[in-house]
Amino acid sequence: MKIIVCVDDNLGVMFNHRRQSQDRVLREKVLEMAAGRPLWMNSYSAKVFGTLPDISVAEDFLDKAQEGDFCFVEETPIAGYEQSIEEIILFKWNRVYPADVHFGFPDQNKFKLIETCDFAGSSHEKITMEVYSL
Amino acid sequence: MKRAKPIWLISMLLVMALLAGCGGDSSPDQPEPQPESQPTASVQSEAVPTVNTTTPSLPSPTPEEPSPAEPAQPESPKPANNPFRLENVPAYSGQAYVALNENTPYFDISNLSAKSYENYSPLDALGRCGTATACIGQDLMPTEERGSIGQVKPSGWHTVRYDCVDGKYLYNRCHLIGYQLTAENANTSNLITGTRYLNIEGMLPFENMTADYIKETGNRVEYHVTPVFEGDNLLASGVLMEGYSVEDQGDGVCFCVFAYNVQPGVTIDYATGDSTLDGAASTAAPAESKTESASSTSESSAPTPEPAPEPIESQQTEQEPQGNTYILNTNTKKFHYPSCSSVKQMKESNKQVYTGSREDIISQGYDPCKKCNP
Repeated sequence: MKIIVCVDDNLGVMFNHRRQSQDRVLREKVLEMAAGRPLWMNSYSAKVFGTLPDISVAEDFLDKAQEGDFCFVEETPIAGYEQSIEEIILFKWNRVYPADVHFGFPDQNKFKLIETCDFAGSSHEKITMEVYSL
Repeated sequence: MKRAKPIWLISMLLVMALLAGCGGDSSPDQPEPQPESQPTASVQSEAVPTVNTTTPSLPSPTPEEPSPAEPAQPESPKPANNPFRLENVPAYSGQAYVALNENTPYFDISNLSAKSYENYSPLDALGRCGTATACIGQDLMPTEERGSIGQVKPSGWHTVRYDCVDGKYLYNRCHLIGYQLTAENANTSNLITGTRYLNIEGMLPFENMTADYIKETGNRVEYHVTPVFEGDNLLASGVLMEGYSVEDQGDGVCFCVFAYNVQPGVTIDYATGDSTLDGAASTAAPAESKTESASSTSESSAPTPEPAPEPIESQQTEQEPQGNTYILNTNTKKFHYPSCSSVKQMKESNKQVYTGSREDIISQGYDPCKKCNP
């Protein structure tokens, strides 16, 4: 599976059970990236994406995702699923937000940065996408 | 878009000015008002958040007698039975902030304002800020670059430099409600003396989160910041920050934290704002630093019971040359000399000309370019 995570400068993801930030353009990019493949997420994430036929919602989506599927991860820990991860797509806010949940990047020697690009979000001046692959 | 200040606020300030001017103690020969005469200051050492934590002093817009020509003004939520006590805050242990009250604001979230507003408490008799409250929407946010705030010397102010501090300067003029939220510049009721660490690690993340949420959703956030002074200290021990998104009932933003006014590696005397490098001999002015106090008796250990000074040119310091021009990169958050080669490579949309002190820029979250080292 290919996991998608939004992080701040400290790899923070959530604070007080809420996402640190959100951006409409980023969501469109995620949908575009996953076009043609299942895009998994939990109900908390689906609420902000809206009801779309391309999105598969399940609380245990990391168990259900198959090889090649995309998983949009926010509050769900990925510990225990490292062996199933083929690709990590980080969207960096380029800001610091409060955080009490951080993204635990799996073995950094195992994943190589293969792509990076910047784009302007709807409310963020610069969002950086980094793609790490095995 | 930043709109004009509400008429009621202006009216209120006029009324306050008139009252002050009509007071019996207005003669310059009269002593300054004593702390106990100030309703906003509770300086009992055991009643911790001296100023305004149990009952934040909000300027009253006199709702009982609204002007017939003006609509009723929104009021901030009442902090009924606010149980916050500084003594219940855990000691600093390496984290810039700590969640309180299960990360839920102390203010009443059941009766939030239907309109944007902002309130800044008047300074107390010791010249200290009180609670700043706002219901922040896009209409309050800035539309132009920030102006200089270097002329403001909040209570406890010292210009001190340490090599161990990011940007060198120990103290920043910390906005209680950040400029990016309500576009307040040199508002003395919204600026406290805070460490670089408090400003950048403690407060800025919450300002960023709130600002970006408002920009993205168009919703509003009820936002309160209370500087917490222990006893008669001139320097706040920290700030209580509370935020709650209005339209989605806190789904987007909900926090209640205490951010510590500390600086790792530096010991601070909160009574005066004096400081020493950890491990160094106890001196008011460390050998590796240069200091200037907000008080005219800068090295006095006794708090000076006078309001934080209004802008006075003679109080500018050698370390803070005023009026220098820098180029800000609003994207990378670096600042440069105009002659820096990086400026030529900068996108025009990211470029911002700034005239003011270096410290001001740093206090806004910018870092000096490593190439031109401004």
